[in-house]
Formats: sequence, structure tokens, C-alpha cells
Amino acid sequence: MGKRWPVLLLATPILGLLVLPLIALALVSSPVDLAAGMGDPLFAPALWLSARTTVISLAIVVGTGTPLAWWLAVAPQGRTRMVELVVDLPIVMPPAVVGIALLQAFGRSGLFGGQLQILGLQIPFTTTAVVLAQVVVSAPFYVQAAAAAFRRVDQDLLIVGRTLGQSSRGAFLRIAVPLALPGLVGGAALAWARALGEFGATLLFAGNLSGTTQTMPLAIYMALESDVRVAIALSLVLAAVSVLLLFALRAAPSAWSLLHSATLGRSPRGTRGEGAA
Amino acid sequence: MSALLLGGCGASAADRDALDVYAASSLAEPFRELSEAFEVAYPGTDVRLTLAGSQVLRLQIEHGAPADVFASADPEHMQSLVDAGLVEAARPFASNELVVIVPLSNPAGVGAFEQLPRAQRIVLGTENVPAGRYAREVLLRASQQLDSDFATRVLGHVVSEESNVRLARAKVELGEADAALVYRTDAISSDLVRWVEIPDAMNVAASYVIGVVAHERGAQAAEQWVDFVLSEDGRAVLLRHGFAVE
Repeated sequence: MGKRWPVLLLATPILGLLVLPLIALALVSSPVDLAAGMGDPLFAPALWLSARTTVISLAIVVGTGTPLAWWLAVAPQGRTRMVELVVDLPIVMPPAVVGIALLQAFGRSGLFGGQLQILGLQIPFTTTAVVLAQVVVSAPFYVQAAAAAFRRVDQDLLIVGRTLGQSSRGAFLRIAVPLALPGLVGGAALAWARALGEFGATLLFAGNLSGTTQTMPLAIYMALESDVRVAIALSLVLAAVSVLLLFALRAAPSAWSLLHSATLGRSPRGTRGEGAA
Repeated sequence: MSALLLGGCGASAADRDALDVYAASSLAEPFRELSEAFEVAYPGTDVRLTLAGSQVLRLQIEHGAPADVFASADPEHMQSLVDAGLVEAARPFASNELVVIVPLSNPAGVGAFEQLPRAQRIVLGTENVPAGRYAREVLLRASQQLDSDFATRVLGHVVSEESNVRLARAKVELGEADAALVYRTDAISSDLVRWVEIPDAMNVAASYVIGVVAHERGAQAAEQWVDFVLSEDGRAVLLRHGFAVE
């Protein structure tokens, strides 16, 4: 016990640095300023655009990332190593680099620009570009967490499921997914938070137009040039959402196990009924 | 150990005084050239340029950024700093006007200002950056003189609003935007764009102003910089980069 104090003392600066800015953010803005900020014409479109785009990007990430995570969890390691590297790449890549790379790929004069134009598709400056940027930067967080969760699933259970007549798809959906669910939800929440905060790649690849490509982080950046109160109000909302998300994340596993044990409590009839069906 | 670290990065600063010049993005090329010439004329001074939209620089100075000199692309941002007592006195030193730039391939086929609404993807500065404000003024005049819905048609094709004029130009250089309204000097300094003139009757005269930022630190070098920009040599550099000087 006596030994722990100096260690914590050494950690004080970093703890302070992590917490103090958030406290300051919550303290500096008066309710009047907050109301003024929320009434700004930039505010509502940015909030709505961020909500829309992050829901779509999360759906894409979960829809395509889940099979990928499953494959990463069950395929022999020798074959997955390269793919794992590719999946992790956006985590280490600066968002500005991701933005430029997306432009070089899907921009009008980019690698696939010609083909896209033949199809009548223009991606930069559209909401699609916002979603693409969010998918790229957030997918690794979900895929990593989901793969880790799937790895913890006892493969024998799936084999048992198969011997009891489940198709491989059925075994995956009814055994692997429920067992890995806390991990999947946690990963999805992290991915969603990352998509919500996406700034650099969006600014470079999608541009900045209220209602079309100006998400909350972009609106904060732009509001700073006109009305600091709007920037602070937007920041507070984003901070509140993030904090709520974090609490939900921390609470989710214990809530899940509570729910689980509650279900187990009345398991005898429940499982038998399900098994028969 | 910390002395070692501090000593390492402080070596060059110790014998040379830093002069922090905050300048509108559109001044990038002439001010880079001027800062090299200034360092030759005044050895011992290290000119550090910070380039951004004038409204961003104004905000930074309002929040205590260590600027010694501020050069704004419009008098308004400067005036608010003068009113706040943050800049001593401001003097006009150059002027500029707007042109329409298009990618070399000119995908929308904009050959004259009147054809600007043909461009489907137009990029402007935000309403806060001088270039964006001037652009809206030009469009307003075009609506009065050409066609009453000219501005509406053009603004309807705006796909992005950038926080400084160089970012607007970059979208055209990348070929992503069909057109942008930027300063003539921005068009001249890029070999990736072509430009179309805006008729004089609809164009604006963007007046650049420069002033010394008020703070306790010695203002001598800052005043020397302002004098240098206003000198024959300084004006020659600005002229060469396409600015108009008196």
C-alpha cells in the first residue's frame, strides 16, 4: 500500500492531462452559450449528418467485418497474417494520409475515377465519401475486437452443434455469435465512436459543406472561425455522447452476464424447448 | 538529461531572434521570398511564417498566439484586431482580385465567366475567409449585371467550402472540382490550373493590410519587416507574384 503512492504520484500528470480538458470543457460554457451554440444553423445539420452517416458506416462495418473477423478467427494463422496486417493498417495510418489515399483511389482523377465516372458515380464531395472515410478508419476496431471474441468461442461447441443437425451457418448464428456477442458489441461501439470522431480523412476526401459532408467534427473546426460558442456546444455534445458510450461499453459486459445468468436461471425448460424447435 | 534536450533544440534560437509573421495563405510565395531576403538583410533574425486563412490567424492572435506581424487578405479581420488593441496600426500594402480557375482539362468547359454555372462542382472559401467573402460579392454583382439567378445557380453547385483559398485551389488542382474562385495570384502560382477572367465591373479589389502585433516583446524586428514589405524591393517581389501595389 505504502509503495503504491509514489507510483500514482508519477501518474498524476498524465491523469490530469486526460481529465482536466474535459472538466474545463464542461465548466466554461454557460447554459446560455450552449443554447446559442445549439441554435446555430451549423449545429442541427451536422448532428443529423453525423448520426446518419455513422449508422450507415457501422452497418457496413458490422455486415462485412463480421464474416472477415470469423475467417480471421478460424482460418490457419499462416493464411490470416497478411490480412490481419491489412486490417490493422488504418489504425496506424494518419487520417490525413487515408484522405489523400481515398482521393487517389476514388477521386475523379484517381485510379478508379474513370470507371466510376462511366457508371455515373462521383464520390468526392458526397455523403458517400463521408461514409467511406468512416468505414475505412473505424473497421479495424470492430474487426479486431470481433476476431478476438470469436477466437474465445470454443470450437468444440460448434462441432457439437453441427452433429445436432445445425448447418454451418446455423451453428455460426446460433452458437458463435451469441457467445461472442459482448465482444462484438464492444467492438461495434468502439468503431462507432471512431467513425463519429473522424475528421482528417473526411475533410480531405469529402470536403466541407453543411448538410452534405460537414459532420460534427468538421462543424467544430469551421465554427471556431466564426463563433467559438458553437464550437464549444458541438464539442460538448460529442463529448457527452462519447462518455455515455464509454459507460455503456463498460456496463455492457456485466449487464450481459447478468442477463445471461437470469436466462440460465430458467434454463431447463427454455433450452429444451429451443432444442426441440 | 533535460538540459541536454533543451540545449539541443535551443542552439539556433539562442543566437538568432525569431520573428513570427502570420500571413494570409495567398501571400505564401511572395512572403517566403521576402523572408529569405529579410534574413540576408538582417542577419540574426529568423523569420517564421505561419500561413492560413486570415480569419484563422485573427482567431489565433485573439487567443494569444505569439505573432509579431499580421498580414490580412481583408481589412475587416485586421480592423477587429486593431479595435481590440491587439494590433497597433494597419497599413494597406497590396491588392489582388479574383479569377475563376479550372483544371487544365477543364471538364465543364468553362471558357468565360458567364459560363461558370456550367461547372457542376464548384469550390469556394467559407464565408469567413476573405476569398470566400469576396467570391460571394462577385456572384452578387454578377446577379445584378448578368442574370438575376446567377449567384443562386452557382451557389447551388458549390460542393465544398474551404477554410483558406489554397485548399479551394487544391481541389481544382486535384481535378476534383470543376471550378473555384481564387485570387489571380493563386492562379499564377499554380501550373495545374487555367484561369478565366472575371469582368472588371463584377470583380472586387481585395486590399491586403499589414500591422505589428502589440505585445511586450521588442517590436523592432516587426517594424523592420513591415518597412521591408513596403520598400521598393518588397513591392517588386509582390508585383512579380501578381499582386498590385501602389
